[in-house]
Amino acid sequence: MSRTDHAGPFIGRSMPRIHDPRLLVGHGRFVDDIDDSGALHAVVLRSPVPHGHIVAVDCAAALACGRALLVLGPDDLELLTDELPTAWRIPGQRARTVAVAARTVRYVGQPVGLVVASSRAEAEGLAELVRIDIEPLPAVLGLDAALAEGAPLLYPEDGTNVVGEIHFGDAPQELERVMASAAHVVERELTIQRVCHSPMEPRGLLAEWIPATRRLTVWSSTQSPHVVRQELATALRLRVDQVRVVAPDIGGSFGGKVTTYADEVMVCLAAVSLGRRVKWIEDRTENLTASYQGRGQRARARLALDGSGRFLALSAHITGDLGAFPIQAGTGPFQVTGLALEGPYRFERAGATVTAVHTNTVPTGAYRGYGMQEAAWIRERLIEEAARETGRDPLELRLLNLIQAEELPYTTRTGLGYDSGDYPAALRRAAALAEERARPSGDSVRRGVAVTPSVEITGFAPSALLEMFQIDWSGWESVRVRVSQDGTVTVFAGVIAIGQGIETTLAQIVADRLGVPIDWVAVELGDTDTAPYSDLTSQASRSLTLAGAALMQAADRMRERMFELAAYHLKAPREEVVLEGAEFRWPAGRTSLAWQEVTSRGWKGWGRSEPGRIRLEETADFDPPAITFSYSAHGAAVSVDLETGEIAVEDYWTVNDSGVLVNPLIAEGQIIGGVAQGLGIALTEEVVHDPVTGHSLTTGFTEYILPASADVPPVTVEHRSTPSAVIPGGFKGLGEGGVIPGPATVANAVAAAVPDIAECLTATPLSPARVWDALSATEAGRA
Amino acid sequence: MTRAVSLVVNGRPYTAETEDRTPLCDVLRHRLRLTGTHVGCEQGVCGACTVLVDGEPVRSCLMLAVQADGCRIETVEGLATEGALAPMQQALMAEHGLQCGFCTPGVLMSLAYAERARLTAEETVSEVLAGHLCRCTGYVGIRRAIERHWKTEEAAG
Repeated sequence: MSRTDHAGPFIGRSMPRIHDPRLLVGHGRFVDDIDDSGALHAVVLRSPVPHGHIVAVDCAAALACGRALLVLGPDDLELLTDELPTAWRIPGQRARTVAVAARTVRYVGQPVGLVVASSRAEAEGLAELVRIDIEPLPAVLGLDAALAEGAPLLYPEDGTNVVGEIHFGDAPQELERVMASAAHVVERELTIQRVCHSPMEPRGLLAEWIPATRRLTVWSSTQSPHVVRQELATALRLRVDQVRVVAPDIGGSFGGKVTTYADEVMVCLAAVSLGRRVKWIEDRTENLTASYQGRGQRARARLALDGSGRFLALSAHITGDLGAFPIQAGTGPFQVTGLALEGPYRFERAGATVTAVHTNTVPTGAYRGYGMQEAAWIRERLIEEAARETGRDPLELRLLNLIQAEELPYTTRTGLGYDSGDYPAALRRAAALAEERARPSGDSVRRGVAVTPSVEITGFAPSALLEMFQIDWSGWESVRVRVSQDGTVTVFAGVIAIGQGIETTLAQIVADRLGVPIDWVAVELGDTDTAPYSDLTSQASRSLTLAGAALMQAADRMRERMFELAAYHLKAPREEVVLEGAEFRWPAGRTSLAWQEVTSRGWKGWGRSEPGRIRLEETADFDPPAITFSYSAHGAAVSVDLETGEIAVEDYWTVNDSGVLVNPLIAEGQIIGGVAQGLGIALTEEVVHDPVTGHSLTTGFTEYILPASADVPPVTVEHRSTPSAVIPGGFKGLGEGGVIPGPATVANAVAAAVPDIAECLTATPLSPARVWDALSATEAGRA
Repeated sequence: MTRAVSLVVNGRPYTAETEDRTPLCDVLRHRLRLTGTHVGCEQGVCGACTVLVDGEPVRSCLMLAVQADGCRIETVEGLATEGALAPMQQALMAEHGLQCGFCTPGVLMSLAYAERARLTAEETVSEVLAGHLCRCTGYVGIRRAIERHWKTEEAAG
């Protein structure tokens, strides 16, 4: 171990990520990169119809040729697996579990079985020989079909395709009363399409069952190794201590890898059944058509204003397309849309009803922005339309109604408790940046800018809050800091790395607090054998916020123990010991001792103050006392081609406050990455199903269009910093803020560019076809 | 049907017995254990699997290994020399041009091609980076890295 010039402080420093070099030289270790010598390969059998009863799965031909090692069908799965648990339900929801064995299929692509062979190509060929005999049932595709009178039912025993319903905030009759007396009410139906997370690395796992130890080890591209471990144990009827889940490098997730899928259980079951290693890597078509999806909702929403433009009431009925069945937290995003509807504004009254609906399509659930992007879309489109209809300046209308800095802390009508910040300051700054960026329109190209503010729920969530709502998760995080004999420092945390740079930011925190060079620090994540327990891990803009808070506490305790040990060995009063350059010194006594010498003696038990506290390890659990809220204002400058309907985002800027930033470079990367995903929702991404066959029409990246480099303009990120009052270290999250206001901001900029079509901007993506249709009906388009 | 395929990968000769239907990426990854090249879509769109074949960028998911018989292949594993990151790799790191890192190897190979072909930074962004999908970074960090690297190279003459 050598001395380095990487001296602290590290918190607040923009530094390159410590783990980048291995990714850059090709030493990433994603699931498919792990040595799979001797592994068998699985291919998933999937439903070809959107709805039907499985009459038989005929494996005879596949087995007869002697090359299939195993074929699993519904009979085997029913016999050998239990259902997967759910965590977050909606009142009225009957299903509390997700079946692994499907007798009735309810979407095209639903896994019904598995073929295992010696190679993937072999297994794919054998899968062609398996005959799945299905008696088709009428299917419902889309919310209208599902809610129509006499619609076919996914679950006839329910008597309806409605899964459940919940109301947040002021009662409907109270909202109606205010609406009736308002000077102006704007009402719209606003839609957000279904989208795919599209991580560049699809799902995949390598499962190994060792008969001698009766232990299952699963290397899985998952965002939630501990949850997957619990779920696999349940589904496979194993004890939790028989299952180890390791999340190696994860090639993006964005909410799509937060729970165990039925096909993943099947792969693990195959490993257990065969006593062999079994591997399955999802292909891109499976990822786009059969992995759980995000968004997919429609809202009928109203905003009421008084004569001076003050917001009297905001009301929405949100209808969410849950797909074939409720997954772990399927309705969660819809519910958050209702909860987060108000955003950074004051409303005298506000409330939302959320209805979740079954359709014969892929189940939906978590996707970066988790209901908050949908809420911003509803709210900010309504506000923009209200400004237009009442002849007010949109910025002035927003500033008039924003919660002022001195009003914080502030409780919304739905009960969210905003903690700290200055929302108007962020919006004013974004508006100032907009002025510098406005560009003139041409004959066939119109230009416009817009700025919109938003708030972001981060550090989700206090365990007591989850208990209150009976959401079956814990909200706390835990970290363990070990200082080894040679002085190196290892951080074990329950959060995991999904590309967001948490290894580096945790290393920065511990190096900063302990006063050691950062290259003495290792961060170990993702292995349930060594990682502290975590339910929500790196979801919900919480990994740095909560693991960082726990680490601040653990590291500070460790620092104090190191000083106590150093004082003992230096025979110095504790308060006179200083640590400089990884050396403890007692200036008055002119003695010193290297950090490594203190750690070495510490592990021998020399100088310990308590017989029951010797190992140089400190663990801290942190359960947040409250949610902490980040906020931002985004601005977009767009051009609209009147001849083609094509929208280009020419410039984009954000003013963001996520409290104390550990690494502004990484923070900026998170925000910009979110912005790009927001632009995808705004302009290009959309899952499309054939309304007759139920098959997805967006099966590859030529149909499901992700933003490319040319679609993402330069993005300016400005930071403000209001430390969180409830999180040690003052951190707030920022994993999702980038995506939240984007689609609304782009649509509002389009509205500014071509006011004639503003009223039509009610659904994303704002594809050229959709915009061209709107333009065709207007003067601007005909000109 | 299988046959022997000879490749020179990053300067080292390899012979692998492979089925005719096996794509080049699978031979590189699973036979030669050079797993730095990633496979993102198997449809030739995302660009993650890009390698250089006789100096030209190729989607290794769309080329059969037998088509590359006798060719010189360059992959991400060949960029760093003696443990030191190549300048383009350093630029990506400095500008936070990667997050999950899955698409990065393919991006790097295309950039290596652009550099040798003496494309300008603008051409590299508009013509070369355009062939890659990245879901994490929003491309801004990658573009900054390209600008930084090209500027440094210009200064160095």
